[in-house]
Amino acid sequence: MTMSDDTRLAMQGTIEALTAGDGSEPVVVNLGPQHPSTHGVFRLKVTLDGEIVQDAEMRIGYLHRSMEKLAEERSYTQNIPFTDRIDYLAAMSNNLAYCLAAEELLGVEVPPRAQAIRVMFAELQRVASHAMANGTFINDCGAWHTPLFHMFRDRERVLDMFEMTCGARLTTNYMRIGGVAFDLPDELLPTLEQFLADMPENIANYEALLLENEILHARARGVGVISPEMAINSSLSGPVLRGTGVPWDLRKANPYCGYESYEFDVPVGEQGDCFDRFLVRMAEVKQSLRILRQVVDTLPDGPYLADVPLHARPEPGESYARVESPRGELGFYLVSDGGPAPYRFHCRPPSLINLSALKEMSIGGTLADAIVTLGSIDIVVGEIDR
Amino acid sequence: MTTQYDATAAMEIVNASAPGAACIDEGVLYLEPDTLAESIRTLRDSEESDLVFLSNLTAVDHELHFELVYHLQSLDLNHILQVKARVFDREDPALPSLTRVYHGAHLQEREVYDLFGIRFDGHPDLRRMFLWEGFPGYPLRKDFLQMPGQVRAGLPGFPHESEENAWPVPGSVPQRPLHPNDPQPEGEVVVADESEDAS
Repeated sequence: MTMSDDTRLAMQGTIEALTAGDGSEPVVVNLGPQHPSTHGVFRLKVTLDGEIVQDAEMRIGYLHRSMEKLAEERSYTQNIPFTDRIDYLAAMSNNLAYCLAAEELLGVEVPPRAQAIRVMFAELQRVASHAMANGTFINDCGAWHTPLFHMFRDRERVLDMFEMTCGARLTTNYMRIGGVAFDLPDELLPTLEQFLADMPENIANYEALLLENEILHARARGVGVISPEMAINSSLSGPVLRGTGVPWDLRKANPYCGYESYEFDVPVGEQGDCFDRFLVRMAEVKQSLRILRQVVDTLPDGPYLADVPLHARPEPGESYARVESPRGELGFYLVSDGGPAPYRFHCRPPSLINLSALKEMSIGGTLADAIVTLGSIDIVVGEIDR
Repeated sequence: MTTQYDATAAMEIVNASAPGAACIDEGVLYLEPDTLAESIRTLRDSEESDLVFLSNLTAVDHELHFELVYHLQSLDLNHILQVKARVFDREDPALPSLTRVYHGAHLQEREVYDLFGIRFDGHPDLRRMFLWEGFPGYPLRKDFLQMPGQVRAGLPGFPHESEENAWPVPGSVPQRPLHPNDPQPEGEVVVADESEDAS
């Protein structure tokens, strides 16, 4: 059940009548830096003709902490907590990407149990992050906090599992070079089993509530459209790229941590609009649960951390490791000069690069659509500014 | 599994359209800075290389030169190629912009300009991104915040790892707050306090 064409045409007519060329001057409106719709300290400067966006320019840097410089002064192990704070909604994925890059540099073999635990927490993190992304996206569409807090219940349970494993909920600092910091506590697997048992019903509820919702369709269908060619040329990744129908997922394309041994699908959208990005995230949560089921069933025994010296000094060289974080392609580029600290530490931030096409997505739409578009990209400002 | 695209094959593709624009040093493909944008466009459009996705763009300060690092990815053929370019001018480093080849280079080039001070000719909107206009210096350069006596900020070695890596470096001014366990560096010992006592 979608909004009928008549209703849409009538709405379009109203908007056009309201914004007809009456000789008025464009208005510049600042969204943010402190604004609920900007998901952090992010400022979007839009030029409006009536309600139509003529130009959108982003101003960022309010959260710039110069992590890439700080990391050049700290040892490889000391840098892991920085990666938590790059993307604080997906700390596990960031830990993982950095550790993979450091392991490539050091030539470390990761034990099978550690690999499985890493996959488990990366996927739990995806469930938590997508709950946040979809919840706030629907918030931006006007469903004030009800779906958000339904989804937060699931996220809360994931964060509880993080807490019982590593003591932290948000900035986990759980992965280590060569494995993970602690083995799984005894109470984790029963909690996870219960979570996996409850989630299908919750997801079915969300789908019943949201997928056929006429208001959500009206707000998100055909809004913020981007073509697959433009998405690839703009280096977009993650659900934003897959929403256009490009089945590019690094877990399939370049499997790490043994993702090749788990069965899962890569959900894609069709039209590349905001609603498709939302659908892709909803479908990805189901795939994550599918992966989690397989991880729990095949969890190997053995050591959870390889024997890596705390003060590791890699040979001079460089490495570039990427993972599929909830937001897209997250990469770490490390250069070693043989010293105790990285000579260069660079993070490829999916949140920042996914904004490359924000202007193209927003121009020509209404201001309210620009906010929905920004919400559908799922930015984390800590990762944009670093 | 993503494979590494053969650098020799990529060099041949580039050199076929612009002789001398690419060379290989220790297995890494280096592109001539003047023709960088055209060379990468050739790699993007060639059916063999098909490097349509700019995965990463960043720079490294090697003190004598800047090295620009590009990671280019083919989605259909699933291979990745690392391409580098060197700039030797430290006063006013400049390179052609890739924004006409990849729209995704827009923000990444602005970031490099902001933090390294490397100009990208042809970039439509080259402004500082994280820092404000007029911010002194470029933080990710290695000579940013150089200490007196040519001492650089950074981790010279782990404390007590060896004699050579004694920390703080004997005779130098420490670059970070001292821990009570650290030996007091020479020249930092307060001999007398001649300031007026406030109490």
